[in-house]
Amino acid sequence: MRAPGAEPGRPELLCGEVRTALLHSYDPVPHSSAAQLLKLRGDAPVLLSERPNLHARSPEVLTGVDCVLPSVSGARTRCVGTVRARACVNDGRVLQAAGYFGVAVAQGGERRQWSHYLARPGTVETFGRLRHDDIVRGFLGTGQTAAGVLDAGATAERLLTRVTAHPALDGNRRVPFKSRRTRLRWTARAAPDGEAVIEGFTLAEGGLRTLALRLPASTLAAPGVVAAFCEDIAQHDWLLTNLVHLVERGRLGSADRARAVRSLSPAIDQLLHLWMPGARVAKELSPLWDVLEGEPGFSRQWQTLVQRIRDQLALHTISLLHAERVPAEHMTTH
Amino acid sequence: MTSVFHETAAEPQTRSVPLSHVSLELGHLYMEDFAGGPERLREHFAKIAPWAETARAAAAAAVPRGRPRISTCFLIDDYFTRFSSPAELVPMVLEAAKESGLVIDYLARESACARAGETDVARVVEQRLVESPAPGSDGRRPPAGEVGWLSNGARTPGTSPLDVPLQALSPRTPWQPPRETAARRHSVFVDVELWDEPEQRRVWSCPFLAAVWQLARLGLLRHRGEPLLVPQDHPGAFPEDWDALPSVIRLNERAAAFSAYRIWSLLPSRFLPVEHAVRVILEQTEVEPGPLAQAAERAMAEGITLPEEIPDRIAYVFLPES
Repeated sequence: MRAPGAEPGRPELLCGEVRTALLHSYDPVPHSSAAQLLKLRGDAPVLLSERPNLHARSPEVLTGVDCVLPSVSGARTRCVGTVRARACVNDGRVLQAAGYFGVAVAQGGERRQWSHYLARPGTVETFGRLRHDDIVRGFLGTGQTAAGVLDAGATAERLLTRVTAHPALDGNRRVPFKSRRTRLRWTARAAPDGEAVIEGFTLAEGGLRTLALRLPASTLAAPGVVAAFCEDIAQHDWLLTNLVHLVERGRLGSADRARAVRSLSPAIDQLLHLWMPGARVAKELSPLWDVLEGEPGFSRQWQTLVQRIRDQLALHTISLLHAERVPAEHMTTH
Repeated sequence: MTSVFHETAAEPQTRSVPLSHVSLELGHLYMEDFAGGPERLREHFAKIAPWAETARAAAAAAVPRGRPRISTCFLIDDYFTRFSSPAELVPMVLEAAKESGLVIDYLARESACARAGETDVARVVEQRLVESPAPGSDGRRPPAGEVGWLSNGARTPGTSPLDVPLQALSPRTPWQPPRETAARRHSVFVDVELWDEPEQRRVWSCPFLAAVWQLARLGLLRHRGEPLLVPQDHPGAFPEDWDALPSVIRLNERAAAFSAYRIWSLLPSRFLPVEHAVRVILEQTEVEPGPLAQAAERAMAEGITLPEEIPDRIAYVFLPES
């Protein structure tokens, strides 16, 4: 019934969803306030990191589930266990919430005492055969997750709502620009030859992205590390999505350059300095970033956009200088 | 390859605590026991003594090598009712135990399980509750918990204030029984009150404080990585005021560590429902991974396999009341 080499209780497959949004605040929040926003529990600290960028991460919270796994074939595989969720704030500007879980095969066919599942937090155990392909395709599918089907995105969304509703953000409901939210659904399963590879990265409609990974068993055993990699990809995809959008709305090259530059200023103030791919990615996963840099070429597109913005600024500066000089010349002729 | 760069605020830290092999709890003392006078206490310890000896022998036999480390403890309720004073009571308890050949290594105050110093100990544990999901829970909603209550299954529909609108819509819904989630065919459904708030002041229930107590005895209680209910040495004369007494005091200088891999509670049988409730709570408590891993690693180094589920680390002896 099981894949060869699989052990009961050991996750064979990881699934998760990251939701990325602009933090609801006009100015970036200071690092200490980010810690306040992410204090989901009093007993565990918010982890704060200042190098190579400002990153605050909440303690993880667990949600118990007893439902069926996603599937394209319509197989109703019951699973019981917990889903992890955590939120992070990057450079006081970008808010991310992630829900993720590992899938393992249960020993026996009955649901066990709940303490059994709490002893393996973040893992759901399935009864019956584990069809990896079916689950991966079901999880990465673009459709709505039906009721009764495990929804990692919903746990992430709940966290996102909770942080956004934090009283510390009250009275500061304005945002510097209209942003788009993105969600990245990801799966990771064992690599047949033990080498980490990206099987596919897809941009779908409605801000949905999907990422299918194959990873060595040692990496699969560290779900938090994989989730951090996916958060990093999600953040940079979000930055790119929003920068593209800002540049598009700026209608560069149109007659009113001052207006174009004005509409780009949120990008300059808020986004340009946030680009730092792979900043918090474990060494064993960093080669995967290189793959995405080759195709579709995240940084290539980002640099091109940044260059365009700087060109606009340069042209605008020149035209301002020119405009200043013209009246001055007028005065000398009279 | 290890990293050359570290940030302490970015890496979770867990301070470890010393661990015995077994901790034996020699009883809880409540107002009614005290009201029964020293005689009642002597009876209690006389009844406990042979079982304490048995538990000690069983615990020692399970230690694969080296000298068994076994400590004893005793809990006094100063939370629900304040009676007597440490100066009067503690020597009386110690004397009564001694008459039955029992040594109490550590003495703890129940109120410390609610609050110790600046820390809301009970809230720390409450925040770690992860409710067991009813079948059909898909992660969209957190379990439909009743505030201040925790059950081991699904309540009868329509019995919760949240269900009232539902009931109004279909007044003829037939009654459905509650159900224990992990039932073996038939249910033993338990709904545990964790606290109430008369006059806006939170009062934790006895089972909830007992769950905190058992976690402390297992060395699994932490607040931001720091252990809670750490024993302090005997302060000399016992004070007149309970608040002047440390949360947990060490009475015996040569005692093995307070916390242990496994714990035994030797209690009168009226505590059975309380301890059932404790198990319902502990079954739904997510213990911090740091102290769990520390205990597991050290046990393994001593050739001991620890049960991974917390309630399985607790053993009981329930004694007749009279």
